[in-house]
Amino acid sequence: MKQPRLSRRTMVAGGGVAAALGATALGLTLPRWLGRRHAPTPYDDLLATLVDREQAARLGEVARSALPTFSARAAARELRQRFERRNLAEVLDADIREGRIAEVGGWLLPDSLAQLCTLATY
Amino acid sequence: MSAFIDARAIPSGTILQPDVAIIGGGPAGITLALALAQTRLKVMLFESGGMDFDAKTQALYGGKVAGVSYLPLDASRMRYLGGGSNHWGGWCRPLDPIDFEQRPWVRHSGWPFGIKELQPYFKRAQTLVEAGPWSYDRSTKPMAEVAEPLELGSGGVYTSWFQFSRQRDSVLPTHFGERYAADLKRVANLKLFLHGNATHLSIAANAANLDHFEISTFNGRKFSVKAKTTVLALGAVENARLMLASRDVASAGVGNGNDLVGRFFADHPIPRDTATLVSFAGDIPGYYFNAYDLNGALVRPAFAPRDDFKRNSKVLGSLTTVENAVELDDLGKAAVVTTALALGVDASNAKAYSVGCGLELEPDPERRLTLTDERDSLGLPRLKLSNRVSDSDFARYRLTMRELGRQLLAARSGMMRLNLKSRESWLAALDWGDHHLGTTRMHVDPKQGVVDANLKVHGLSNLYVAGSGVFPTYSASNPTMNLVALTLRLADHLKGIMR
Repeated sequence: MKQPRLSRRTMVAGGGVAAALGATALGLTLPRWLGRRHAPTPYDDLLATLVDREQAARLGEVARSALPTFSARAAARELRQRFERRNLAEVLDADIREGRIAEVGGWLLPDSLAQLCTLATY
Repeated sequence: MSAFIDARAIPSGTILQPDVAIIGGGPAGITLALALAQTRLKVMLFESGGMDFDAKTQALYGGKVAGVSYLPLDASRMRYLGGGSNHWGGWCRPLDPIDFEQRPWVRHSGWPFGIKELQPYFKRAQTLVEAGPWSYDRSTKPMAEVAEPLELGSGGVYTSWFQFSRQRDSVLPTHFGERYAADLKRVANLKLFLHGNATHLSIAANAANLDHFEISTFNGRKFSVKAKTTVLALGAVENARLMLASRDVASAGVGNGNDLVGRFFADHPIPRDTATLVSFAGDIPGYYFNAYDLNGALVRPAFAPRDDFKRNSKVLGSLTTVENAVELDDLGKAAVVTTALALGVDASNAKAYSVGCGLELEPDPERRLTLTDERDSLGLPRLKLSNRVSDSDFARYRLTMRELGRQLLAARSGMMRLNLKSRESWLAALDWGDHHLGTTRMHVDPKQGVVDANLKVHGLSNLYVAGSGVFPTYSASNPTMNLVALTLRLADHLKGIMR
């Protein structure tokens, strides 16, 4: 008995669907592998310490609106000094220990974290 | 056992002559009467009300309130045997040592003695308010075995513990009138009069002692009480009113030569939802919300500033309690996620709670009671309360909350949001403890206090004041157990001088 053969049209259509599904899957999973893409900023070295930059930026918007004279460059300079030979946890510990607590929308945060959040809005 | 006497049955013109007359049958008056039992002193206690609430009697409390919102004066007290204990919440906590100190950052602060003067009386007071075994801050260790409390990093705020009064069968709290009626009836040297309203204090012509006071009743009877010693135990508001209204010899009123009676009125502001507290680990133990029975002591934690933090940060007392679970808004969720991730903490089960507090106010001579032209049904001038709260009182509490928030971060156990910032937001959240304080303040200097260290009115040899009206500063602790202790001390003083 003759085996049924796939027509060229069916094969092309099937290949197209498979390619589309593959691309979709890749699109969904790539950001998890590579990190969500953000437009480059002069502060990316600092912002790389934030695990969830979107949530941080949400806080940062509130902080920034309360600080109309906020200077991102000055804040970044200050943060880079604090981060010298220290990681995020150590910087935040020092803030907490030394009483550098910022208030963002009423929330009490280590000052360096509040500044990072504000930089995340740039 | 003798029954209480109905003052309405005493013929007009009668003159009663006890050794000690106590005016007012609230916690202070009842405590004093019980403490003077089994002495040779003839004691009489006069209570305006009866054994239960009566609207006509209660209406005698009516007055005006101006300034910062406050409960109507006839709604923040109870005028029948048991007084304020008839509507108290049963919250107890001893004063802290620093409460007695002259604190340079707190104007008009300083008691004439330290906590050691009261310590011998605390345990008897604890028994009278039926708050179980003395546990308070000794509860920390055993309660940690029940369930780990929310961890705080080292710093200026610690977990302190309230205890609660309770009556038999776990009915909260102890109503002094109901609870001690039978005990009072058993006191052989006591006569307790109900429905007798003190309407006038008559100073002797030499202005050096109280000659007698007058009792009026709703059925038109009037009689006099000429006691060797009289103790005003009407509560901080009515003590001041009776003293101010008795103006026949001294035009400014009794004990008011330095214009202090009625000044320095205070209460404990209880702002609601002052902050949101997040526990990263999730649910906090149930004892934060509902008192826990720790071997007979009903305990509940509160966050309190340490004495050294008060000194260093120039803050006043406060007691912050966790009230109820709340939902976070999007910003709150962002704050928790961002902070927990940055601290390396798992906050996937985080829970948020509303917190409230009781605050100590700084003494303020302009927060005061004055007489008005309006009179009650017995002819006594009604009062006006001019109520004030300063911005610095709120700002100082905020410093304590910031410290608590810092300590939660330090422990990586949680974080906080401060919900109140503007004066308007504070005032909108404000409730009051109905803890009337300060109107006949205690001070060794007659120019700075109405009564001396023994609670005797300056300049008068035989008139005393009991109750929290004599507190020169107010602590954040609830006053009832403390005023009972102070009254027990007064009883010992009177026993000593009247032997």
